[in-house]
Amino acid sequence: MIKTEKILHLKSSRGRKVRVVREHYLRERVPCCSCLCQAACDNDGKVLPGDLTHYVVPDVGVVVDYLEILEFRELQGVVFTQTACQAVQHSKGRRQYNRLRNLLKDPRHDCVLFANEFQEYSYCPREKGESQEQWQTRCVYSAAVWYHNHLAGMMDIVMITEDRDAIAQYGSLNAGVYVISVQALQEKESEASQKEYSEHLPAEVLEAGIKSGRYIKGTLNISKHRPQNEASIMTDGLSNKSTDLSRGVLVDGGKNRNRAVHGDVVVVELLPKSEWRGKVTALTEGQGEEKGGEENESQPMPTGRVVGILQRNWRDYVVTFPPRDGTQSQSRNSQRILAVPWDRRIPKIRISTQQADALQDHRVVVRIDSWESTSLYPNGHSVRVLGPAGELETEVQTILIENGIHVAPFSDAQLREMPVNSPEKPWTIDPAQAAERRDLRESHLVFSIDPRGCEDVDDTLSVRSLPGGKLLELGVHIADVTHFVTEGSLTDLEARLRATTYYLADRRYDMLPAVLSADLCSLLGGVDRYAMSVMWELDAHTLAVNKVWYGRTIIRSSYQLHYELAQALLNGEEAEVPELSELGPEEKDAKLAELTQALEMLTHVARQLRAQRDRGGALELEGVEVRAQLDEQRNITALVPRQPLEVHETVAECMIYANHWVARKIQETFPHQALLRRHPPPRQEFFSQLVDSAKARGFAIDTRTNKALADSLDQAMDPQDPLVNRLLRMMATAAMSQALYFSTGLESQDQFYHYGLALDRYTHFTSPIRRYADIVVHRLLTAAIDLEREAGLGKTLANNKELEEMAQHINNKNMAAQRAQKSSTALFQCLYFKERDPQTDPSCVADAVIYSIRNNGILVFVPEYGVKGPVYMKNRDGQVVAAGPDGSCEWQSGSVRQHSDHISTTSSCGTSTFRLFDHITVRIAVHSAPFHGDSLNLEVVSNKPHRSPEPQQTPSQGRSQLVQEVVRLAEEASQQAQEKKAAQRPKLSKEEREFRQSKTPNLYSLLEEVRELALMDMDTAAQVCATTA
Amino acid sequence: MAGLELLSDQGYRLDGRKATELRKVQARMGVFAQADGSAYLEQGNTKALAVVYGPHEMRGSRSRARHDRAVINCQYSMATFSTAERKRRPHGDRKSTEMSLHLKQTFEAAVMTQLYPRSQIDIYVKILQSDGGNYSVCVNAATLAVIDAGIPMRDYVCACTVGFVDETPLADLCYAEESGGVSSLALALLPRGGQIALLQMDARLHQDHLEALIEAAMTACKGVSKVLDQVVRQHLQEASVNSAE
Repeated sequence: MIKTEKILHLKSSRGRKVRVVREHYLRERVPCCSCLCQAACDNDGKVLPGDLTHYVVPDVGVVVDYLEILEFRELQGVVFTQTACQAVQHSKGRRQYNRLRNLLKDPRHDCVLFANEFQEYSYCPREKGESQEQWQTRCVYSAAVWYHNHLAGMMDIVMITEDRDAIAQYGSLNAGVYVISVQALQEKESEASQKEYSEHLPAEVLEAGIKSGRYIKGTLNISKHRPQNEASIMTDGLSNKSTDLSRGVLVDGGKNRNRAVHGDVVVVELLPKSEWRGKVTALTEGQGEEKGGEENESQPMPTGRVVGILQRNWRDYVVTFPPRDGTQSQSRNSQRILAVPWDRRIPKIRISTQQADALQDHRVVVRIDSWESTSLYPNGHSVRVLGPAGELETEVQTILIENGIHVAPFSDAQLREMPVNSPEKPWTIDPAQAAERRDLRESHLVFSIDPRGCEDVDDTLSVRSLPGGKLLELGVHIADVTHFVTEGSLTDLEARLRATTYYLADRRYDMLPAVLSADLCSLLGGVDRYAMSVMWELDAHTLAVNKVWYGRTIIRSSYQLHYELAQALLNGEEAEVPELSELGPEEKDAKLAELTQALEMLTHVARQLRAQRDRGGALELEGVEVRAQLDEQRNITALVPRQPLEVHETVAECMIYANHWVARKIQETFPHQALLRRHPPPRQEFFSQLVDSAKARGFAIDTRTNKALADSLDQAMDPQDPLVNRLLRMMATAAMSQALYFSTGLESQDQFYHYGLALDRYTHFTSPIRRYADIVVHRLLTAAIDLEREAGLGKTLANNKELEEMAQHINNKNMAAQRAQKSSTALFQCLYFKERDPQTDPSCVADAVIYSIRNNGILVFVPEYGVKGPVYMKNRDGQVVAAGPDGSCEWQSGSVRQHSDHISTTSSCGTSTFRLFDHITVRIAVHSAPFHGDSLNLEVVSNKPHRSPEPQQTPSQGRSQLVQEVVRLAEEASQQAQEKKAAQRPKLSKEEREFRQSKTPNLYSLLEEVRELALMDMDTAAQVCATTA
Repeated sequence: MAGLELLSDQGYRLDGRKATELRKVQARMGVFAQADGSAYLEQGNTKALAVVYGPHEMRGSRSRARHDRAVINCQYSMATFSTAERKRRPHGDRKSTEMSLHLKQTFEAAVMTQLYPRSQIDIYVKILQSDGGNYSVCVNAATLAVIDAGIPMRDYVCACTVGFVDETPLADLCYAEESGGVSSLALALLPRGGQIALLQMDARLHQDHLEALIEAAMTACKGVSKVLDQVVRQHLQEASVNSAE
């Protein structure tokens, strides 16, 4: 051994430079690990084979930068030098170095390590003035030369380097030792670049590109059905002038998407026209597997690729840790797991964790940290564990988080702000308030009409004739929430954050603490309450508005009626009013007469108001639609009325009237900062499905105006099949735009129009307990009244910009609430069918109606369960559905042909045809997807309508079918929930209470809810959201 | 960079040695004429100078004199320039006092003190350059110096440090290894009889490994003794040639 010395300059812990002298021992015999070795090195362990064309000695830079490539098992005969290994350890850290070590240990990889710096002849001391890189390259080169000499020239050695000088310097120094650059190697082997994605362009380039029109900016929207491949960009209306971009830009495939995640604001560059593609319209099964076939595509549309991302819109994602199996063996060491997000549109996220085993099959909230261009998947870290997948609690939490809903219990600080109302310390009216407010307790007969058992009553009504008989006084009294919730208080901030009360299938998350929503703000019968009132003086005959009064009042509701009772009173039937049960018969009759008269007057007024609206061009569409929906939405567990009661419409009409007049008031007082609600007219092209479908049945639908649409829908009645009309109405609703809150300062006045209600101005005023928008409107109205009394503004109101932001926020939260409600309904549907065996249980077989035809299947609606879904005519093996003579269907090999109004399958048994609006029988089974929510799978059983085995399931009592179906659904859900809950804790009363909560009968909220049920094409829906958002 | 890799997968240490290999040892005896005995020893980059005076009468307080044997007085010090950073090293600091005490114990075990009752032997050791294993280098240098002084000893005293890394004992640690968090053990051996003159270990070590470690240390010490023996024989040869002339 020869002893030499190495002089290093290191930094001491205190940052000073220290000169350190280290010994360095060299030896002649360092194992070369090659079978060609002539010098009998003691090679133990891995040995390079001798039958290769050459050995590769990668330079330091190559090992550091391209280790991933060197990891390919296809590469044989790689000699890593000690110099390179140390460089990896120094520059890349322990993890990378361990990878290299594992590589060297792995017997499958044909690579060895040569300790060149300990070999007497291959070691070269660093010279004065030589840079580290130069020295390292020299070391590696001398190692390569040593190998060549050591193996007696029997093997060519190739050194790969990134350093061009090195090639020039050493390239021709020795025969048999070749020096090649990486680029040359790449050309030689035509190897793909190591990067998975191209780099994003810098921000300045993007900005300039957008300005010059070369690039297009928009929000990336990944298709739910083909999350792997299909995504589109919705452009902002301003930037695109050319019409062919109005449909958006398609981004096809993961490479073109270039690391953008759903919701990001991206910049795209259009591809040449020859590469434009269309959207795939065929139904796909399961998790977006590839369905080959260009013929399935629709018209080619502008296609582009993402060149940069302006803004990431990453949020918290719920992911599921995959179960441990052989496929992830390589990641066991590094404990890096590819977790699958619940939302199919989000790519898998790579997560480093030590708890991978413990978290198997758990749902976990994660955040994305980064996505490098070299990585196929983004990196993330876990935030919170929700629980094992498939459990009810976990799934409900998943739904909440995926929709961005945060509903922690109210904090102590928030509850401390609440007034107290307990038996020991009853809440009383503040005398100061009593002086300020108009007292209606004695003068007016105030009553509420709500669903049975309702506990949050936020609206009451009053009506009376004024002395003289020529005038009527109609009053709508709304709970005065803003009196209790002062602006800027903690409760207010929390309510603003939540924006609405969330209704899930089995639970409810209140916007306000229970002491307000169920007690002090609830206008219960027989107690004094603060209210916000709107009172009209109407002409008794013409109902022309004489005078409107807005103001704060004190009321005492005399009767807390429910719908059935009110209707019974109106019909003159015998009915027991609980408030009157203890009175004597005479007094009772007198009171009853008074109440009945008030109700009659109210009904009369409402009818007139409705007629007025109709004359003004009101849309009949929602009238019919909602009447049916109304019952369904109102009475979830209470008895379902036989037919929609007129009293529902009466109440709703009064509320719409109040909302409309409040909208007028605040808009006139604050023309630039009032919060209104508008419903833009739908885009005509969205009606195409409706028109086409109707044509198949011979109906013509006129969609030019809301009135024409409503009229033609009324005429599209099939006497044999009432479902046809319903389906058409659902399609019409699906084509509607979303109604939105907005600030009046932002839009011109002609944009305020409410398409659905046919009103020029509209807002939400009547449900402040469960909607934050109403609270805002209440504050605006209060300010308007103060202004009128010349009291001056107490404080400055939110300006236009703030209001617009708030409107956006409330809109978003409302949409999230709807989505959450929809998902939870779907969840419960799945739970219902999960416990049933689809092959044996009769309840899994149901009647279905075809409402859309696709390339390889049909979309059906199952009225019994309110389920919509695809039915495949062709399965994965290429077999098609063939109907036998008795109608029963089986899989046969054959072909499918799609026509405009029917789809036919041809097989050895003949041809079977499925027409639009045909009734067929389907079997419902749960398609279980461990990483995402379960979904229902429909399979055609017979092409004949399903005969229900139990006749009482379809009673001929004139119940509307929709009511029946949804009630069944709700009952199932509640049963389900109760079973579930009962298993956990035997407390049923909570569910019962929760189901009896009410929502104010408000036609418009209903129309939106219909949307959810509607047969929406998801892409269209997404477009609607994106364009109206 | 977190922690040096003290033993690579191929079995090399930081400086290119294998686990059992010692550093290069070079030594000269009789470097000073004034002293009774002196020696200079390099073990790798650790360099030490040892000087022996005596045996002579007790100096200072006579009360310390022993009637049946000689008293050995050791003094250990490090040169200010011995490390990478120059540092003043006052006499009598804890480290050098401890080291002096260890040296004293070691040599009281090896030197045949009973031959010189009521007298004193002074051993001064100075580390000129420090690179790990200071104690063992001092012992080895002092052994040569004592031999140079012609004081009879039972045997060479050879010392060596061993460390324990990755289930492998590493012989003769250098500074980088010592400071890399290795549990190290210093052992002074009388090789011929296999008697242990001193064993010192500060770090934690599992009991099961102790035997292997001591075994490795003894092998290393025997290696050192061979080198020292060679040095002594060569020195004698040179001395006899010189005196013959």
